[in-house]
This record gives sequence, C-alpha cells and structure tokens, in this order.
Amino acid sequence: MALAVPLGLLALWELLARLAVLSPRYFPPPTRVGAVLVDSFAEGDLGGETLVTLTRLGSAFVLAAVPAVPLGLLMGMVKPVRAVVDPYIAVLFPVPKIALLPFLMILLGVGEAAFVLTGAISAFFQITISTLAGVQTMDPRLLDVGRNYGARGARLFGKVILPAALPAIFTGLRLGLGLALVAIVAVEFIAAKSGLGHLVYRHWQTLSIPQMYGAFVLVGALGLLLTRGLRALQARTLTWQEEPGRL
Amino acid sequence: MSRRSGWLAGHWLTVASPAVLLIGWELAAATGLLREAFFPRPSTVLAHLRRLIADGTLLAHALPTLGRIAWAFALAAVLGIAFGLAMGLWRRLRESLDPVFAVVYPIPSILFLPLVSFLVPRGETALIVTTAVTSFFLIAFTTTEGVRQIDPLVVEAARHYGARGRRLFTAVLLPGALPFIFTGLRLGLGFALIVVVAVEIVNATYGLGALLWLSWQVLKVEDMYATFVVIAALGAVLSYGLAALRARLLPWAQDVAER
Repeated sequence: MALAVPLGLLALWELLARLAVLSPRYFPPPTRVGAVLVDSFAEGDLGGETLVTLTRLGSAFVLAAVPAVPLGLLMGMVKPVRAVVDPYIAVLFPVPKIALLPFLMILLGVGEAAFVLTGAISAFFQITISTLAGVQTMDPRLLDVGRNYGARGARLFGKVILPAALPAIFTGLRLGLGLALVAIVAVEFIAAKSGLGHLVYRHWQTLSIPQMYGAFVLVGALGLLLTRGLRALQARTLTWQEEPGRL
Repeated sequence: MSRRSGWLAGHWLTVASPAVLLIGWELAAATGLLREAFFPRPSTVLAHLRRLIADGTLLAHALPTLGRIAWAFALAAVLGIAFGLAMGLWRRLRESLDPVFAVVYPIPSILFLPLVSFLVPRGETALIVTTAVTSFFLIAFTTTEGVRQIDPLVVEAARHYGARGRRLFTAVLLPGALPFIFTGLRLGLGFALIVVVAVEIVNATYGLGALLWLSWQVLKVEDMYATFVVIAALGAVLSYGLAALRARLLPWAQDVAER
C-alpha cells in the first residue's frame, strides 16, 4: 500500500514517455533507465564510481567525527573552551561549505584531499553543535545524582554525561553524514572527474540522458539507505531515547 | 558596573579569540611566516573588499544571489507549508506521499539542476527551482510534524466550541504548528543559501558563487577571500536574523531544530 503512489507515478511516467507526451529524449521511460542501470553495472564502471563516492564519503565522515565529538563534549563541559571556539562555529556554521572548496584546492591542489575535506568540514560543524547541545540540554539533576553517589572525573563522564549526550551525538552523526553526502556529491558535480556526482554532470553534458538518470537514481538510493538505515540503527541501539527526529 | 562591561567581562574570551587569530594572521603574513599568495593579510582582503564594493562588482554579483534566494525561498515556503499542512491534516495523503518524499529528499539538490533545466525553459528559472527543492522538503516535513504534534484535546475543545473549517484552521491549527513551521523556514533558508552558491558555481555568470569561482579560476586569491567574507556574512545575517525574528514573533516557543 505504501508503495502504491510511487509505483503509480512511475507507471504514469512510463506511459507518458511511451506515448511521447513527455519527450522520451529528456524523460526516458523508467524501464529504459532501469535497463541502462543494469547494463552499466554489468560493465563494471558504475560500481566503480559508486565505490569512489562511498570512499570519499566514508573518509570525510571519519575525518569529521573523530575531532568533532570530543570537541563538542569538551565545549559542553569546559566553559573557557566553549568561549574560545564559539565565535568560529557561529560564523562558519551557516556558511555553505562548498564555498571552501576553492581555498582547499589552492592549499592542497585539485585532488582527493580537497574534495574529502570539503565534505568533512560540512559534517564537522553539525556533529560538534549536536554534541554540544547534547551536553548542554542534559537534565542537571542527573549530574547532581551522579555527584551525590560519588561519581567524579572519568566515572562521572563515562556513567552520566556520555550516556545522556549519546542520543544527541548520534543525531549529529546522522545529520552530519547527510550533509557530507550533499557536499561530496556537489564537489564531484563541480570539480571532480569521478564519482556519482560527476557521472550525473558528465552524462548531462554529453546528453546521455538515461545514464544520467541512472546515476541520479543511485545517489537517491544511497541517500535513502544512509538516512533510513541510521535512523533504524539509532532507534534500535539508543532505546532509552525518545523517537528520533525526522530531519 | 554598566551592562556592557558586564557582558564583556563574561565574554572576553569570545571576543579575544578571533581578535588574536586575525592579528596573528596579519603579523604572520607580514613577516612572511604565512605565504601571502595563499593567506593574504586580513587588511589586504579588507582593501580588496572595499574595491569590489566601490567599483560595483560586488553589488552586480550579490543582487542576483539575493534575488534567487528570495524567489526560491518564497516558492519553497508557499508549497512547503501548503503540502505540510495538508499532509498533517490528512493521514491518507501523508501515507501516500511519505515514500515519495523519503526517496527524493536525500538526493543532493544540485543534482536536480539537469532535470529542472529540461523542464523549465529559462536558465534563471532552473537555478531558482533547483535552489528551492531541498528547502521545500524541509519546510513540508517540519510543517507536517507541526500539525501532528498539536494536542488532539485542543482540537477537540475548539470543535466543541464550534470552530470549523477556516476558523479551526486559522485559530487552532496554524498557531499550533507555527513554531515548527518557523523552524522549517529557518532550515530551508539556510539550505537555499548552500544550494544557490553551488548552483551559481556550476551555471551562472553573475552571483556570489560565480564570483568566488571566477576568482579562483584566475587565481585572484584576495577577491576569493573577500567574496567568502560576504557569503559568510550573508549566512550569518540570514540565520541569526531569522532566529531573532522568531524570538520576537513566537516568544512562547523554543526552536525545535536540534533533534
């Protein structure tokens, strides 16, 4: 039942394209796109490009999460750290991170390092901010109770603060991964010569339209898998948390 | 102690930290510790920014960007709120559109540029529609949530007092959902800025994204920095301006974003 509307839309598209109501040149019927998708996977190049995008995404995510989570925790627990870092986050968080790409390409050359770092910076700010919010919005009574029972330092952190902040950290990681995907695909579309984003761009320029849709569908599937998969993981592992947000 | 010096006493680190960075940068570049070709001095960047403003270049690039953001935001807001309210009110509609939205929403907006440019004739329209895509979904999602989280008891009570149709909508549902709608608008506006810069890099002659890209291609590094400062300022104004507006208009409701 849930699939009725999407399937109906696809069927309508198929019909309109077959009857040439929609220009089949620009809006090829979905079955054609599917066939092309299967073919390009069989030839191997599509799988390779997908792997390139996934590798960039994975590296960017790790590069962002490893410093962002400790920084967010530190900012939440140590006031002077927060005071020093706050102005940079406040200024840089709303900036479209793609605008950093030219700077990174000047510094690091036009290559993987600049591409991956643009994605990492996109995720970094989101993860830091979510982690900080997780520490700041925790119930202060939890801290009091922990202290009253004699938890200090590492124990207080490991038993009270971290578990309380964990749902927010996970949300930050989930949102961060999404932003990294947006940035990586945009970077590929704009500057890289490989990856799914570049594939859409190249097939657009050469007007190999079914192939373009194929790459497009693949990015959509990737995004869906990541967002839905992580939300399911979040609901499953952090069972003490309320329903994870939708965004 | 006056209020201002009290604020400063509490926030001196927040002020000192960027000040130290900028002064250190200036000195390091002046003494050759940083390569000025890559890290021009803040004072040089400021001078270039002044020149870009004085000779009208900046305005010629900023106005198209602002226009695109405004059109895209308006488009996304009107459609997003309309869809969101409808999906919040009618379960059947929500259940049938949910899977479509779930598939389309995570696709990075920039990829819609080719599709949109097949659909609409003029280049400018394609830029605007592409910019609106992700904002639309964000606003539609938050509005749907906003309607759904309204306490059913409140709706029930309003019905008992005779509120129907239009009145129920304007007196109960819309105010109830407003904090969520506002969060959606804020997120949507932020995303519109992200996408418009990317889209301008790819496919525009004028616009801040185009100016940034052009400066990089001819290696006018100072202009690159100056343009970046303008884009950052625009981001700050849009995001904190809307937050301030919200605090003023909806003082009873907290932001529901960071979930």
